Amino acid sequence: MRLENPRPDETVNYSTEHPLKEFAWLLAGVSAVVAAAVALAGYFAGELAARVPFRVEKEYAAGIARQWEERQLTPEAAHARAALRALAAKLAAAMALPEGMDVTVHYDDAKTVNAMATLGGNVVFYRGLLERLASEDAVATVLAHEIAHAKLRHPASALGRGVAVGVVLSVVSSGMGRSVGGDPVQLAGMLPLLKYNRDQERAADEEALAAVAAVYGHVGGAREVFTVLGKLGGDEAARVGILQTHPLGSERLARVDELARLRGWAREGPVRELPPALAQLKPAKRAE
Amino acid sequence: MAGSSNILVSNLELVPGRRVKTHLGVVQGSTVRAKHAGKDILAGLKNIVGGELTAYTELMQEAREEAVGRMLAQAASVGANAVLNVRFATTSITAGAAEILAYGTAVVLE
Amino acid sequence: MQAFFEYFDLLLFVVLLALGYGIGRMNEQRHYRSIRQRERELAGVLAFGIRFPPDPKTPRDCVLVTGSVVVSSDYFKQFVAGLRTLIGGRMAAYESLLDRARREAMLRMKADAVRHGASLILNVKVESTNVGGGMRGGVPAMEVFAYGTALKPPREAPRAA
Repeated sequence: MRLENPRPDETVNYSTEHPLKEFAWLLAGVSAVVAAAVALAGYFAGELAARVPFRVEKEYAAGIARQWEERQLTPEAAHARAALRALAAKLAAAMALPEGMDVTVHYDDAKTVNAMATLGGNVVFYRGLLERLASEDAVATVLAHEIAHAKLRHPASALGRGVAVGVVLSVVSSGMGRSVGGDPVQLAGMLPLLKYNRDQERAADEEALAAVAAVYGHVGGAREVFTVLGKLGGDEAARVGILQTHPLGSERLARVDELARLRGWAREGPVRELPPALAQLKPAKRAE
Repeated sequence: MAGSSNILVSNLELVPGRRVKTHLGVVQGSTVRAKHAGKDILAGLKNIVGGELTAYTELMQEAREEAVGRMLAQAASVGANAVLNVRFATTSITAGAAEILAYGTAVVLE
Repeated sequence: MQAFFEYFDLLLFVVLLALGYGIGRMNEQRHYRSIRQRERELAGVLAFGIRFPPDPKTPRDCVLVTGSVVVSSDYFKQFVAGLRTLIGGRMAAYESLLDRARREAMLRMKADAVRHGASLILNVKVESTNVGGGMRGGVPAMEVFAYGTALKPPREAPRAA
């Protein structure tokens, strides 16, 4: 019996392909597939949710609405809410809301700088944002933007999209198991969702501008709003456009001018003073 | 374990040139070991750049030596002078702890 | 500076990935060089899986020799492996890791035999265990353990051959 020790071919047990090559196409492939799955799921879920009849959505959101209605408001806040509702009614008349849809505006005394549209045609306007707007036109632009969201059924479709995308991403993360790097793949999945969000914001902007132009004859107030919002967002240079939920402030401002040119609206004009009920919310002296 | 230091240990079934006089059954030795948290932190850093976890290697080696030692102690207690057909079984109990089992056939060689 | 805080998670991921790839690859090349060199040096030590010695009648001393190593994968390999679990197929990243670990364990076993003065190892077995703890919080680590029986050279017979 002969005993020998030749060297076997060691390359059968490992791959000689460069690891970065495999990494690149794996990452690209998985990201593309996940993004595509999210985009599809989000699109169909959003469309489906937006087709639920408005009265069903309103019933579903009745609890939210009641919560807002039943809050105790100071007399100051109650006047503000009444002023906002009057303004909203004027705008809604110019916006051709679908049959059976109505919008309810609520006012919140918190310092939050925001206004939002939620399910059931409910819109909430926060004090923090009101304090920073200087004219009725500006307040009207924000209101019209939120009413446009409600008109276009954005809260419902966003909810449907969010649920569908959540399901897809949880399937992906359970598929990847305990490994590291789940986060970049989830990020790739979020990109289509953020794009849908930005598209919705653009659509709402367009409707809002049309309404403001119809009611006030010009879009000067809108330009003020987007300038203020742009300042609030901070330095734009640091932001990556595709990772934002809203279009960049500079883009929205440019869009105002572009739409004004296309639709023949006046870019500037005399702006209305804030109604007294809203003006009295501002602190006595404000350093900009 | 004085008597076990000259017990022959082999994972073959026979010893060349010597005959088995008596088979004394299966003997085993097992141990569960964990290492302390300090080494675990260094291992966590190694997890990023890869490579050998020397602390864990030492842990397993010590555990194995102890398991074999216990097996030999059992063999000595039944009067064997060799343990043949030795095998090992390793189980990971929890993060950072492992059980090693060493077992074999205790025999008396002539 | 603001950008740093906003995208901190992403930046951290990229840095860890780069570290894992760069240092991990360097370590792997170095380890393979060392393995190949030691395999050449220890080519005189023969290791077989056969259970019967070539000359069963000649008395020879037996001793159990072992070699073990615990390896951990790096961040880059783990990320690529995670993507692989979605797509399926050959995990080249871990194949090279385990190949290295097996050969290292075998070399340590051979070195153990040399320490005992033997150059023939029989009934070689190789076992792998996951010692990192599969649950979260454990470092993913793999132990490879090689063992066999080393036969020392036969004692010189007192009479002439």
